[in-house]
Amino acid sequence: MPAPEKSNIKLGLFVLAGAFLLILTLYMIGKNENMFGSNFALKARFKNVNGLISGNNIRFSGIQVGTVKGIALIDDTTIEVTMLVATKMKPFIRKNALASIGTEGLMGNKIVNIQPGEGRAPEVAEGDLLANQKATNMDEMLGTLNKTNENIEDFSEGLKIAVRRVNNSTALWSVLNETSLAPNLKASLANISQATAHADAMMNDLRTLIAGVKGGQGSVGALLTDTSFAHSLQEATARIKTVGDKAGGLADELTKMTGDIRRDIDSGTGTVHALLKDSSMVRKLNASLDNVQKGTAAFSEDMEALKHNFLLRGYFRRLEKQQKNAGQSP
Amino acid sequence: MIPSAKFRRFLGEAGELSAFAGRFFSQAPRPRFEWEELARQCYTIGYRSFPLVGLTGFIMGLVLTMQLRPSLVSYGVDSQLPVMVGVAIVREIGPVITALIFAGKIGSSIGAELGSMRVTEQIDAMEVSGTNPFKYLVVTRVVAATLMLPVLVILSDAISLYGAYIGVNIRSVTSFSLFFRQIFDSLSFGDVLPAFIKTFLFGFAVGMVGSHQGYHSSKGTEGVGRSANSSVVISSILIFIIDLVVVQVTDLLGLN
Repeated sequence: MPAPEKSNIKLGLFVLAGAFLLILTLYMIGKNENMFGSNFALKARFKNVNGLISGNNIRFSGIQVGTVKGIALIDDTTIEVTMLVATKMKPFIRKNALASIGTEGLMGNKIVNIQPGEGRAPEVAEGDLLANQKATNMDEMLGTLNKTNENIEDFSEGLKIAVRRVNNSTALWSVLNETSLAPNLKASLANISQATAHADAMMNDLRTLIAGVKGGQGSVGALLTDTSFAHSLQEATARIKTVGDKAGGLADELTKMTGDIRRDIDSGTGTVHALLKDSSMVRKLNASLDNVQKGTAAFSEDMEALKHNFLLRGYFRRLEKQQKNAGQSP
Repeated sequence: MIPSAKFRRFLGEAGELSAFAGRFFSQAPRPRFEWEELARQCYTIGYRSFPLVGLTGFIMGLVLTMQLRPSLVSYGVDSQLPVMVGVAIVREIGPVITALIFAGKIGSSIGAELGSMRVTEQIDAMEVSGTNPFKYLVVTRVVAATLMLPVLVILSDAISLYGAYIGVNIRSVTSFSLFFRQIFDSLSFGDVLPAFIKTFLFGFAVGMVGSHQGYHSSKGTEGVGRSANSSVVISSILIFIIDLVVVQVTDLLGLN
């Protein structure tokens, strides 16, 4: 064993080393829990703190700024969280900052996140109540994901059936294997493009035409826009209608008349029947006409003979002379 | 029903130990204080145990880290290895392992030393010469053990954490500052203070059991060996019992 003095020095070193480490540890922990340095209190109210406990960290834009000091139930739906935040952070936190409860990592401790609000606002004061922002809750997230998954399941089931049908369809595959299809399709598309171009031009024309019609130009325009014309048209149609009615009556009468006539003809009374149906009368009439012809031929002979009669010869000669002069003089 | 002989002996031992502790508390606060002897005992008990405790602490930290690593890797949270090891060492492994090593080294040495003094009648001689042997031999040793074990535990924890740092760096890379930041960020007073306070109880138990076994040693040299042996066994069991009680108390106090 060394001399007592030397051993005491070693013992002192030993004990001091231990004490130093202990104090260092306590200081480091105390610093993390904001026991040193000045703090100020901020408050925020939540509906659900999701398991936040006092001592949990406060982060401002992701920087460690303090710890949760207390959690108190205000009423059945409101929980007030008191936060101790380092005074040196005070100028950076504004009154419109938003507090939300989050998690360190995926499954770590709960933390309170303070996010700067939008726009300008004065800096916070001791005891201010920050507005809260509903944080994305893991359970809610999983709930939504569950719904999405179910939808995907339905969707994939439908897709499976559709793909199976497509695979089983030989017609579709023959269409897909057809090599001439592509150039044909291309040509068709070109045609369609042309057709649509024409249609476009046509539509343009039609549009101008319609615009003209709307403006009352042309006969169609007049037809469509002139109100007096409509009135006249109505009147005319009314007249046409009355005429039509009368014509109906007329047609009835005509029908009746022709019916009578036919009956007359068939029954053998009246002149028309005699004319049309009596064959003996035709013969007689023929004989009469022959007699008339003979009579007129004999009369023409008599008249010729009369011309050469001395009493009338001078007159006929004078008439001839006059005709001759009229042909030379003009 | 008459208790068995073994049980009666156990009860007798417990009663004697309690009476011994009562004697310690009644004599310790009274002058005159044996400061020089206390310093000498502190040097022997504390400083001389440091190399052993430091070595075991270092190995413990390193091994614990490497053993915990695969299970954390399977959860994909090997980045949290320092946190896990830090909490385990500071809360439990550091105090208990150090106290057990301390019991093995100091408990047996106190038991053997006082036992041999008893059987060689040195203690009786002291009484005759007017020195209070209880104050001079027992109180100094118990106080030294009570005060030195916490210091040893703190140093051992530090060395263990350094061992853990090396253990983390065997398979992956972390910086020294990130490693200790992670540990201190995860630690709270609730982790450190109960662990620190229970080391006083461990030290007291080791000193008290060793002194008692040695002080009441009998049956010659054979008795010396038995006092050394039983002081290690009893103090080791007591360490675990105290640990159990302390963890219940801290749990009730809400420090966990």
